[in-house]
Amino acid sequence: MLEKNNNRFANSDICIDVNDISVMFNLSKNREEGVKEYIINMLKGKVGYKEFWALRNISLQVKKGDSLALIGRNGSGKSTLLKTIAGIINPTRGTIKVNGTIAPLIEISGGFDRSLSARENIYLSGAMHGHTKKYMKKRFDEIVDFAEIEKFIDVPLKNYSSGMVSRLGFAVATCVNADIIIADEVLSVGDAKFRMKCEKRISEMLSGGTTILFVSHSTAQVKKICKKAIWLEKGKVLETGTAEEICDHYNQYIKSTPSKPRKLAVESGSESRLGRSKIER
Amino acid sequence: MKKGIYEFMNYFPFLKEIIKRDFKKKYYKSVLGVAWSMLSPLLMMIVITIVFSTLFRRTIPHYPAYWFSGNLIFCFVFDGSAAAMNSMIHNASLIKKMKIPNYFFCISAVTQHFITMMFSLIPYVAVSFVIGVPMNMHMLLLPVPIFMSYIFTLGLGMFLCAYGTFLRDLNYLYHVVRRVWIYITPIFYPIDIIPSEFRFLWDLNPVYVYINIFRDLAIKGTMPSEKMLIVGTCYSLLMLGLGAVTFKEKEERFFLYI
Repeated sequence: MLEKNNNRFANSDICIDVNDISVMFNLSKNREEGVKEYIINMLKGKVGYKEFWALRNISLQVKKGDSLALIGRNGSGKSTLLKTIAGIINPTRGTIKVNGTIAPLIEISGGFDRSLSARENIYLSGAMHGHTKKYMKKRFDEIVDFAEIEKFIDVPLKNYSSGMVSRLGFAVATCVNADIIIADEVLSVGDAKFRMKCEKRISEMLSGGTTILFVSHSTAQVKKICKKAIWLEKGKVLETGTAEEICDHYNQYIKSTPSKPRKLAVESGSESRLGRSKIER
Repeated sequence: MKKGIYEFMNYFPFLKEIIKRDFKKKYYKSVLGVAWSMLSPLLMMIVITIVFSTLFRRTIPHYPAYWFSGNLIFCFVFDGSAAAMNSMIHNASLIKKMKIPNYFFCISAVTQHFITMMFSLIPYVAVSFVIGVPMNMHMLLLPVPIFMSYIFTLGLGMFLCAYGTFLRDLNYLYHVVRRVWIYITPIFYPIDIIPSEFRFLWDLNPVYVYINIFRDLAIKGTMPSEKMLIVGTCYSLLMLGLGAVTFKEKEERFFLYI
């Protein structure tokens, strides 16, 4: 399903081609994890699942060197879309073609083992991207330097603060020479100074031809880093356009929705009406 | 096929790192560390020899080596496949965040137990030297049964993993199976106590076939029968095939359950 390193693109500019994908999760009230429950449920005829479509009919194309932001509220499918592009989740329907290597940075610690030290994690992470230890040794100092964790290099990651982990994650992902970087909420936990450093690094990489997929809840940051944006809501694309435009619309929408506590009672009704009206527009 | 080999080569450094990590984690904060993989079978051997030597000493020559070799292979097959079964659950944090071929975690789990077995071979050789098992050229063929059991364990592990990821109970069930399996495998008793008309049933137990080949080479100092070698190879390849096919079929849905 996911074609890597294949030159089968008529237009070689496009490095991510998402073609009408949908992702379904099974929401079963009682996930059978036991033989007994499974048999009981089977006898009752209750093994059926409640379907939940995390993504519905998403199509998008990203050109090489592009910077695309995904925005939307919690649970709108941003992370699922990124995971699908990264090849971690297979889409239920549709196809994805990716031209180039991906460094996914999903949920802060993209593939770190918390019981290992930073040093071991750097090699492990590098190996996950297909780099040998020899190659990683060459980049090691650069990574440690960027992450500013010299003092704690041999401390297990479980003792790190979330900011430190995210710094390390960002440093590794940007040092492994991937063609596409997926940054999911990585900059949100770093302090202001580190964020500036990251933004600088990202813009350097963009000018070097790296493609970036970016998720953030800070529209200011999105505007600064990305040229284009996609607004997801309930697993569907609500709007695509330039980052400026989409962020403004998104901000307006956020202000216009009633605050959370009151929403509970009228949740599905009011929201879906809003959603529909946006799609029609 | 070509794509598969390319993928394997591409992630080979990862396999090395993950095996190293598993190994480090296993002996995390233990003083003796890796020495335990040599010590624990040795201690077990002493206990078993004391308990059973009066029973079987006359019928089994070199009883400590007899038990040790059987235990070595059995523990590798069982522990390796059990670890592979749980490998998806244990590595969930990585699987959910990076794209890595899932079967690598099975290989890593089995290989880790393989390394443990290699360490256990050191006291085995020492014991057989001390109790006076005659050394012979056939011992050079010992990698054959070891390799067979590796392939079998990997296949079995992948097969169990394909189901164990969805149904965690399999883990507990498998430990019950271990009890039964260890008794029906002639590890501490000689095959002679089984009536000869039923002995063909014991050939159905792959682990016994590997143990038998191992003992023929290492203790008796004879070539194992061709039948044994062919049967052993078939078990390994069939299990690997079955495991790989089942795993491939189920792996798409793994991420929903880990």
